[in-house]
Amino acid sequence: MARTGEMTVITYRGIFQEVEEALGMYSDGYRDQSAVIFLDGGDAKGLAVEAGKAVLVETGSGRVVVAAKISEDPHPGVAFMPASPWSAQLLSGEAGEGGILEMKRFEAAVSPSGEAVTSIEEIGERIRAP
Amino acid sequence: MAFCTGCSLLCDDIEVDFEGGKVKRTLNLCRKGRGHYDALTVDRLNPAVGGSGVVVGEAVKAAAEILSAAERPLLFGWGRSSLAAQKLGVDLAKKLGSAIDDPSSYSQGLMTEKILKGEIPTCTFDDVRNFADVSIFWGDDPSSSHPRHMSRFSYFPRGEKRQRGYEEDREAIVVDVRKSPTAMIAADGFFKIQSGGDAAFIEALLATLGGKIPKVEDKKKMLNLGTKLRKAKFGAIFTGQGLVQSRKGDVEAFSSLVAKLNELTRFSVIPSLGDYNTRGFNQTLFEETGFVNSVSFADGVSGGPEFGIAKYLDGCDAVMVVGSDPAAVLPAPLAKKLASIPTVAVDSHRTLTTDAAKVAIPMAVAGLEAGGSALRTDGVKVDFDGVVESDRLPDAEIIEMIMEAV
Repeated sequence: MARTGEMTVITYRGIFQEVEEALGMYSDGYRDQSAVIFLDGGDAKGLAVEAGKAVLVETGSGRVVVAAKISEDPHPGVAFMPASPWSAQLLSGEAGEGGILEMKRFEAAVSPSGEAVTSIEEIGERIRAP
Repeated sequence: MAFCTGCSLLCDDIEVDFEGGKVKRTLNLCRKGRGHYDALTVDRLNPAVGGSGVVVGEAVKAAAEILSAAERPLLFGWGRSSLAAQKLGVDLAKKLGSAIDDPSSYSQGLMTEKILKGEIPTCTFDDVRNFADVSIFWGDDPSSSHPRHMSRFSYFPRGEKRQRGYEEDREAIVVDVRKSPTAMIAADGFFKIQSGGDAAFIEALLATLGGKIPKVEDKKKMLNLGTKLRKAKFGAIFTGQGLVQSRKGDVEAFSSLVAKLNELTRFSVIPSLGDYNTRGFNQTLFEETGFVNSVSFADGVSGGPEFGIAKYLDGCDAVMVVGSDPAAVLPAPLAKKLASIPTVAVDSHRTLTTDAAKVAIPMAVAGLEAGGSALRTDGVKVDFDGVVESDRLPDAEIIEMIMEAV
């Protein structure tokens, strides 16, 4: 039974992701920069997750498999994901105070996964599915 | 000299040579800008209706049919549109009696609105370069999002009153939930806050500025910050989405902080907006309606969150997306809702939104294939020319064709 960690996930934009996005979001480069999650070293150890391995990130709204990265700085209980179609699959679409969509932060379950990293094509199909 | 429309800094000092339609050599482009230029030959959008290739005229006709038949259409996007296209977009919304909105309704629209209403003081990047001795990056990581921000304006350059640049004349302070590349540059000026902790940080800073002992772990660091801010001759605060999201749409506490700082010295705010002409859309719509986003022309002029994409998709029966990719950004339930509505997508490149659209209309890349005007994120107007031949139409021409056909 794979271990699962409950974490607060915060999204951000990174320069290398921005470059790859400009060059086309259907590229491997964009997936490699976007379909990732930065875990705290201690959290990753607790989940028996190594850098580069696939992890399932799941919320009440959706699930994606992304590659794990381990942060140099500690941030226990918090994980960081680039803002991208992958993180968007996990957002609820609920508006917070003032009617603004919550796009930066969500609670998610993170666990090791034997599945392949979710492709952008699969995300597109999910969006277009009736 | 060419312009870069890769972000809202609109860098105007770009040198570029093309060979065989591809970029051969550039000077002064940042890494992100180079990606923007190189993308000229990658994943370009072709005109299509229902997934089948057509000529542009047919795609425009199909777009007009969708929009004309709709009772509750929404025109969305506009951040990667020229000022002329944005103005025509507002006119089209009026003609259709539709809603019009842009991504600022779920990002920094509230901040821009306060600036346009004069409720938060602002300044230009040229003021920052020449006079600013303290730059605060709040929930903002320009090293990633606006890579030449610090080198052209806010930290490294020498300016009229800041001849010794970052070495002696400027201080960089970063308030963020993670140690971003910008935070690494700021080094000791980095204040790491908890997720959603901006309000507490603002409270502590206000207490410090009011001469009280702040209720924070590192009191000494906060007191030093208060002293730096009080002594600043010209401070600039650059805001990112992190701040607005952290306050869940309430920027009142931040406004109070800026007001307090301006009682003590001078501080201005410039939001770091994403797309190259987000400011242009917000200002164009504001001047027409008094709202920066989320407007409906169905019954006169109405504005409010109910006309923003997050809520308006319920009951919406046609969407035209121009220069934006909401399907890639919006929470999955909303992206699915968008994909279920007949959509017209006008864009320079293939995106998740164009893939889900019923009608796709390609446009030229502004600043490279087409000229136009835009407002930099600090509100300064910039006029640019195209620098490479293209058979793709400028965005304004496409909107004009749709306007004539509806």
